[in-house]
Amino acid sequence: MRWPTRSPPVPEPGGGPRAGFLRIAGKGQDDDVPAAVREAFPDAWLAPWLRARRKIEGAGYGTALEAGFRTAGPACARLVGPEPAIDMADFLSAVTIKAGRRAGERLCAVAPAVAERLGDGPRFRSWLSLMQRFAAMAPESVLPVLERLEALMERVNLAGLEAWLLAGVRIAGADRERRAAFFRFESPDAERLLDREAGETGFFDVERRMKAFMGALYGSRAPIREAPPGRHDGAQRRAGFGDGIIRMPSSFPGFRGDHAEALYRASLAHIAAHMRHGGPRFPVGKLKPLQIAVVSLIEDARVEALAMRDMPGLRRLWLQFHIAQSSGALTAPSLFARLSRALIDPEFEDIDGWVRKGRDMFHAAEGQLEDAGISRAIGNLLGNDLGQMRVQFNAKTYAVQPPYRDDNAGIWEPDPDMEPPEDAEAAVVESVRLRQAEQDDPDREREGDTPPDDTQRARSAAAPDPEAGVPVASYPEYDYQAGVERPDWTTVVEYPPRLGDPRFATEVLERHADVAGRIAALVRAARVGRPVRLRRQAEGETLDLDACIDALAAVRAGDMPDPRVYRIMARRSRDLAVAVLLDISQSTADPVPGGGTVLDLEREAVVLLSEAMGGLGDPFSIAAFSSDGRDEVRYHRIKDFGDKAGPAVGAALAGLKSGYSTRLGAALRHAGADLAGQPSFRRLILLVSDGEPSDIDCPDPAYLVEDARRAVHRLSQQGIDVFCVGLGARNAEQEARIFGQRGFVQIERIAALTEKLPALYLRLTA
Amino acid sequence: MQLDAYRLESEPYYRSIGAEVAQFSAAYAARLPVMLKGPTGCGKTRFIEHMAWKLDRPLVTVSCHEDMTASDLVGRFLLDPSGTVWSDGPLTLAVRQGAICYLDEVVEARQDTTVVIHALTDDRRILPLEKKGELVTAHPDFQLVISYNPGYQSVLKDLKESTKQRFCALDFGYPDPSVETEIVASEAEIDLAVAHQLVQIARRSRNLRGQGLNEGASTRMLIHAGALMREGLALSDACQLALILPITDDPDMRDALANAVAACA
Repeated sequence: MRWPTRSPPVPEPGGGPRAGFLRIAGKGQDDDVPAAVREAFPDAWLAPWLRARRKIEGAGYGTALEAGFRTAGPACARLVGPEPAIDMADFLSAVTIKAGRRAGERLCAVAPAVAERLGDGPRFRSWLSLMQRFAAMAPESVLPVLERLEALMERVNLAGLEAWLLAGVRIAGADRERRAAFFRFESPDAERLLDREAGETGFFDVERRMKAFMGALYGSRAPIREAPPGRHDGAQRRAGFGDGIIRMPSSFPGFRGDHAEALYRASLAHIAAHMRHGGPRFPVGKLKPLQIAVVSLIEDARVEALAMRDMPGLRRLWLQFHIAQSSGALTAPSLFARLSRALIDPEFEDIDGWVRKGRDMFHAAEGQLEDAGISRAIGNLLGNDLGQMRVQFNAKTYAVQPPYRDDNAGIWEPDPDMEPPEDAEAAVVESVRLRQAEQDDPDREREGDTPPDDTQRARSAAAPDPEAGVPVASYPEYDYQAGVERPDWTTVVEYPPRLGDPRFATEVLERHADVAGRIAALVRAARVGRPVRLRRQAEGETLDLDACIDALAAVRAGDMPDPRVYRIMARRSRDLAVAVLLDISQSTADPVPGGGTVLDLEREAVVLLSEAMGGLGDPFSIAAFSSDGRDEVRYHRIKDFGDKAGPAVGAALAGLKSGYSTRLGAALRHAGADLAGQPSFRRLILLVSDGEPSDIDCPDPAYLVEDARRAVHRLSQQGIDVFCVGLGARNAEQEARIFGQRGFVQIERIAALTEKLPALYLRLTA
Repeated sequence: MQLDAYRLESEPYYRSIGAEVAQFSAAYAARLPVMLKGPTGCGKTRFIEHMAWKLDRPLVTVSCHEDMTASDLVGRFLLDPSGTVWSDGPLTLAVRQGAICYLDEVVEARQDTTVVIHALTDDRRILPLEKKGELVTAHPDFQLVISYNPGYQSVLKDLKESTKQRFCALDFGYPDPSVETEIVASEAEIDLAVAHQLVQIARRSRNLRGQGLNEGASTRMLIHAGALMREGLALSDACQLALILPITDDPDMRDALANAVAACA
């Protein structure tokens, strides 16, 4: 047992009489105190404890809570020392005031168990303080959390608990209902995020390499989604597939590290074998669950056998999970596991007649493995045998063994009663991403202007409305309080440009002819592709006459000549790609002195800027963003790097409308992801914004600022610079925090933007 | 003759995968310039060596790089004690003496460089040496061959349209698995069965092209891996050394490839 570092309140030196007085004053109560409590609060700790108790009793929280505290205090004191146990009174008060008496009672009830688990005072105190903060953030959820607290702390440590609580608060934003549902585990996110905090080797950790593994084996680009734990929770989670999408459990409880990785790998290889070698889905017809399970088992073995023909090493990968033994009760699950092993493991001998029969039939069909029909034929016969053996089978609790095998839903025709998959939207994101990846692939030629079929499907599935957006990507977001980056936290939804007046760009250029002229002159001056003559080079195209004369003079004088006698024309090339990112949140609808709105000036400035960029030959893109909560970061592509500048760009600019909020970090990440694909040496995101990061679901103003700062850091690690042009009077300190001291400029007189932005660009990139 | 050093002494091994030998021979007979397209390590250079041997011509190979200037191809003035002296570049040498000039990875060279070959590749067949003030008419046996890797990531590096259209082209890919097995077995001097495994592994890596790898494992890499196995390394080590580590630095990709190797053996 560790005791607090601070010593008990020792009577002051020479304060004997006073200590004596205290003892006398408290005498009446002291006598009631049982020996156990005296032991928990020895000597001078007793009086503070009694004071804390009186404080709780005086607050009128009800007798149940008072009794709870009287029991919890000494119990905790014995485990973590008297001081934190006494301090608990204050935390208890705070929690009770915010979250109600029942939450307070519950806190007392769980405190000893927590004290035992944490084992020392400082950590116990952190837990109390965490509960107090949580009560302030989500009062309605304190009770449900405390009720599950022991189970939660079984899985995560204190830091994990804190991260998970904060995640729950963040995920719901201002939506109280959603928050309550999260903490009651009614939302699948709760379990999924808890898995991550629990440090199980989650699919998230290995996703990239698993996708690559599967791509390597079969050239498959089937999207892999992390499935929320569904029917099979706890130890029974299984992967699944269907409709071209693979669902992987977010974790396999009980499997960690290399073992978990091997399991994911085995599972993917198995599903890939299904997708490669499986036939059309089997009709369910009148088959009983038992028969379905047996047919599935044979089909599993069949596709694995075919896969192992091509890649014999897969046997090793799968075999390690076949641990069934030829003994034990003859229940359906155990027989199934044994048959599965018998079909893949040539060295496994089973004594059971049914298992042997299954193995013999499967081997007899070896010549016709290509035919999925054999799975049905063999499976039906074996299923009938099992039925006659009166083996019990409970379809509700059955989970395929070994754990790498999928739930088999993908090989049967879907049950019409089944509810649609929960991750339909996620699937759309993935297939759109896939489409983009394919378009980026230089080898695939674009087939004219008609998008491939699956695109149309993705679009129509997401949005019957042509104006509606398509979710294209998700990005992490940084929570400065928890100190973690939460993966896939924000979803970027791209909207097709709304076209405005196609003459917009021309009109702007005509209206600002003087500015355009000045910019053109600046551009000519800044065009750094001019050839430069370099003299006295060791290698080059032509002889440098001066150097030759010197060299010959040296030779005639008997000296060593300088061998650098050539000259070359070199181009100092300008190698820069720029993504211009416009903030079009609601505040850009504000009028500007001198006419127009902020957005009007933004787009005029961008027209002039694109003249400059086009003149310099820099590849550039233009996009605008706003946001409506973390699930809807709205992104409008106005011009991509490959697009030619033209009236369409002006029209798209003219069609922009102000609205919604500013979730800056997500927009920066999305623009950065685009820019990262550019082959240029320098890459720059030029942000034009009139406000601070904010969004409807983020009450904490610092949260999005810190996230944006994080995004800027991450981009700079990738070699992408971010420069912000701030409009209006801004909070310079905050700008500097996000973009760095030299990463922003403020334009207070917004009307000057049209002229300043291109000039600034030229200066910035010279 | 000056170019004897450029003649091949023995027949380079080349396993034909289609009609490319006959096609190239026809192009040579008509003295048409030829462009060989295909990913790295699929046998382009070996093919041109083989053809030079077969047609009994010297072969002048120039590996192009981004700092290459026109004078690196046609020649330049050098200084000697008595003044300046002109020195022919490799292209001029081939033009004068009737060799096959092979410009490897020509897109790498600066675009203004490639323009010097224009007059050589149409019916004029001349090479103007501007700096020297000489017009070299090509030897009747001269032929220009360039190689070009279209998968090369960069958008910036592409042949000019006017250059492209002067050439006939032969497209090279990785050969069929059975043919590739034969090539790997023969070049690395290993069993067909082992070569087959290597080719299976290569197929997996080529699946990852564009999904994390710029290019899958080439036939050349397989031959290297095979050679390592001939020297006694196990398959997994040989693949690690010759294939996985050179091809990518991404730990996830390495992991995926190593496991794909394990799955194939």
